[in-house]
Amino acid sequence: MIVKKASEIPNQHHHHHMSTSRQSEPDDPSASEKWAANLLQDCAKAISEKDSSKIHHLLWMLNELASPYGDCEQKLASYFLQALFCKATESGERCYKTLVSVAEKSHSFESARKVILKFQEVSPWTTFGHVASNGAILEALEGEAKLHIIDISNTYCTQWPTLLEALATRSDETPHLRLTVVATVGMGGGSVMKEIGQRMEKFARLMGVPFEFHVVRVASQLGELKEEDLGLREDEAVAVNCVGALRRVAVEERGDFMRLLCSLRPRVVTVVEEEADFTSTGSEYVRCFEECLRFYGVFFEMLEESFAPTSNERLSLERECSRSILSVLACDGDGVGDCERREKGSQWFARLMQAFSPMNFSDDVVDDVRALLKRYRSGWSLLPAQGDDSGLYLTWKDEPVVWASAWKP
Amino acid sequence: MAVAMEEAADLEISGCNSNSTIDDNGCAWTDWSPVMDWGPLSADDDFRGLIESMMCDDPTGLAPTSFDPYWNSNPSSTTTSVGTSPVQEPRNGGDDNEKGLRLVHLLMAAAEALAGCHESRELARVILVRLKELVSPAGATCGEGGTTMERLAAHFTDALQGLLDGSSAAVGGQPASHRDDLPCDVLAAFQLLQDMSPYVKFGHFTANQAILEAVAVDRRVHIVDYDIAEGVQWASLMQALVSRKDGPPPPHMRITAVTRGGGGARAVQETGRRLAAFAASLGLPFTFGQCRLDADERFRPGGVKVVKGEAVVANCVLQPLNAAGTRRGPGSVASFLSGAATLGARVVALVEEEEQEEEEGEGDFVGRFMGELHRYSALWDSLEAGFPIQGRARGLVERVILGPRIAGAVGRAYRGCGEGGWGEWMAGRGFGRVGISCFNHCQARLLLGLFNDGYRVEEDGPNKLVLAWKSQRLTSASIWSPPPPPPAPADLLPVGAVSNSMEDSYLLLD
Repeated sequence: MIVKKASEIPNQHHHHHMSTSRQSEPDDPSASEKWAANLLQDCAKAISEKDSSKIHHLLWMLNELASPYGDCEQKLASYFLQALFCKATESGERCYKTLVSVAEKSHSFESARKVILKFQEVSPWTTFGHVASNGAILEALEGEAKLHIIDISNTYCTQWPTLLEALATRSDETPHLRLTVVATVGMGGGSVMKEIGQRMEKFARLMGVPFEFHVVRVASQLGELKEEDLGLREDEAVAVNCVGALRRVAVEERGDFMRLLCSLRPRVVTVVEEEADFTSTGSEYVRCFEECLRFYGVFFEMLEESFAPTSNERLSLERECSRSILSVLACDGDGVGDCERREKGSQWFARLMQAFSPMNFSDDVVDDVRALLKRYRSGWSLLPAQGDDSGLYLTWKDEPVVWASAWKP
Repeated sequence: MAVAMEEAADLEISGCNSNSTIDDNGCAWTDWSPVMDWGPLSADDDFRGLIESMMCDDPTGLAPTSFDPYWNSNPSSTTTSVGTSPVQEPRNGGDDNEKGLRLVHLLMAAAEALAGCHESRELARVILVRLKELVSPAGATCGEGGTTMERLAAHFTDALQGLLDGSSAAVGGQPASHRDDLPCDVLAAFQLLQDMSPYVKFGHFTANQAILEAVAVDRRVHIVDYDIAEGVQWASLMQALVSRKDGPPPPHMRITAVTRGGGGARAVQETGRRLAAFAASLGLPFTFGQCRLDADERFRPGGVKVVKGEAVVANCVLQPLNAAGTRRGPGSVASFLSGAATLGARVVALVEEEEQEEEEGEGDFVGRFMGELHRYSALWDSLEAGFPIQGRARGLVERVILGPRIAGAVGRAYRGCGEGGWGEWMAGRGFGRVGISCFNHCQARLLLGLFNDGYRVEEDGPNKLVLAWKSQRLTSASIWSPPPPPPAPADLLPVGAVSNSMEDSYLLLD
């Protein structure tokens, strides 16, 4: 075959605008290594500008170079490519549904448990929030005989064994604990929660803590949760635990959700969220894209450095991320199950201030968190909120990644 | 996950321009699966080593069985036989083309990444990794190391990798992987190339015919040759000189070969011995000498002894397909061409590669790189059409001759030292154009007729013939007459005197 002249190949753009990646100065040498980030950002720009030949070229290149089994850059390329492709072809929702149904087929209690336990073993990403929240809950409900914890989280009740232990080893009377778990669509079928419930009950028996376990299923979106569903009783002290929960409420319904929580008259509300802002939409696609890339770039890097090189658990987590990425970047509508539009700590702070007042973590709790971080590899640290915020930030290589806070009425 | 992607790929784009050039190149948007489940595509090193070792087998077994008089030092009037090439069975053309296009896109993307700002080097590295996977024997489509495009792409990938690594190939030296080439391999490859394509002979025959015409009645002919290599060109000139019908008796022929000294000089000496022996076998009076370039590789006309009454001819073959090795710099070539004028040469014969026309006058690395890709692709195609022997022979030529030339060409494109045609340079300095005779033109056509009919002869002005493969110009031969020599500077000796600074080694034969 004869090679075609350069002029016959689709219009090439010789100088892609090389925008910098997260937190890097214009001449940051490490920016050169982020080849995938550069290509992806250029593609996102091209999509928002509807530059079809450039889109074509960049998607083609990314497809050639990406792999979900390669290094960090290749993985990011692969998953973000999927989102960009769906965005360009307006097939995001269909793709998301298929991904979810595929995931659900292979989802079991055992597999979910394995993944989260391994994740907690190698990284404090979730345990940080657990320790801080448990500390705040225990202190706020000190002396109460009947406790009702409403758990809206995504960590499959791995938070509660430690709390049960703490309750059991208190010097005074062991209180009665009722745990109501709010389960949404993305949390696996009924069998998973049932298994979890059985194990929790067994564990509580072992600990000698009087215990009740309920699951409340929300049909479609978390925003539809109602007070009646929770079966509150008069004589109990309520704590609401929101771990990775608030972000699953549709953005426009978040104000209402705060009011709902307020109506439950809790003694304490604990909130744990990941530190990212995915709320810009519509005309600000590129901005949302860049923030998404920044956050997941950190997350994937953290996964790579925390797990062993060939880890199925890590692959599972990455695939979960790919669904979130797709949801944020390629799905506009409501028909897609859980929303994934995270907000930053400062943003949640402003919302929560409408309904609650901030509660500082005590020194004991902060010490507990510090002790926790020491058990992991270096790179993790604690950053108390400054300025107008409250709460604690978990940092990875000095970048805040998770925010934990406590609130009272 | 694979299921999801296939479904997604079936959807049409909405809101995208479907009239773009995307469709023209057969890369339909909907043909992709956006996430490729790779699985391990490992380059199997053992397999590749096996192929290499096959190609390093005793190369004499590969040599054409034709009886080449020059190489075998046996006077014979048989011409080198050239087999007509059987048409290669067309493979599944569609797949090959698609993959070929993909490789070209990737190469271009890699070149772009290298040419851009420093930040793209990592991207270039990653693209090259991908290219290597696609062109390795494991990723290649057929047994003997892949399709034409795959092999070509492999060499260009190596060349780009060399640029990225800043290896010696990029700065004009021999690529490391080729330093192990056995000299017998190199010679065999060169001979194969000569026999299987008109590339080398075209230049030689055209130059020789013009020289013959220019010195038709001279008793003494002195050829100053810039890059004699194996001296193959002169073997055929000698034969022509002794077989002139109705003409004067064969003249006394002298050749002064310009060398760089060192190992090169020894090879040239060997060439001289061979030429002398051949001349003896023809009964042609012959003398051989060398003239060394100075430390800057500049040619000093004073280093050439010129005898009164002899017709001086300057011969300048600038083809990188010599077995001898690396090119010399432009300053050196310029000094030779100027020096030819100083020596009062009757004619100057110039054989050089034809440059790609610059795309849109941009002159950037990517444009030049694509030009080289285009050129070597045409060359590769022409060889493929001409090699009747099994792939090992072609593989040898590709590996030993063409591969290193590609590395050099890419390196030069990167450094931006593209050499414009020397013909233009000479025209600019007052060299006259010497018309190429009808006979010469016909001879060129006859030569090409022995090979694949994809070759063409084009005229580019009255004094220049161009060899082209299909639409791609490959090489040209042009004939010039020097302008009157400038007034002799102080350091030049008068014509006819013997210089004490010469370091000639004469092989007198009588």
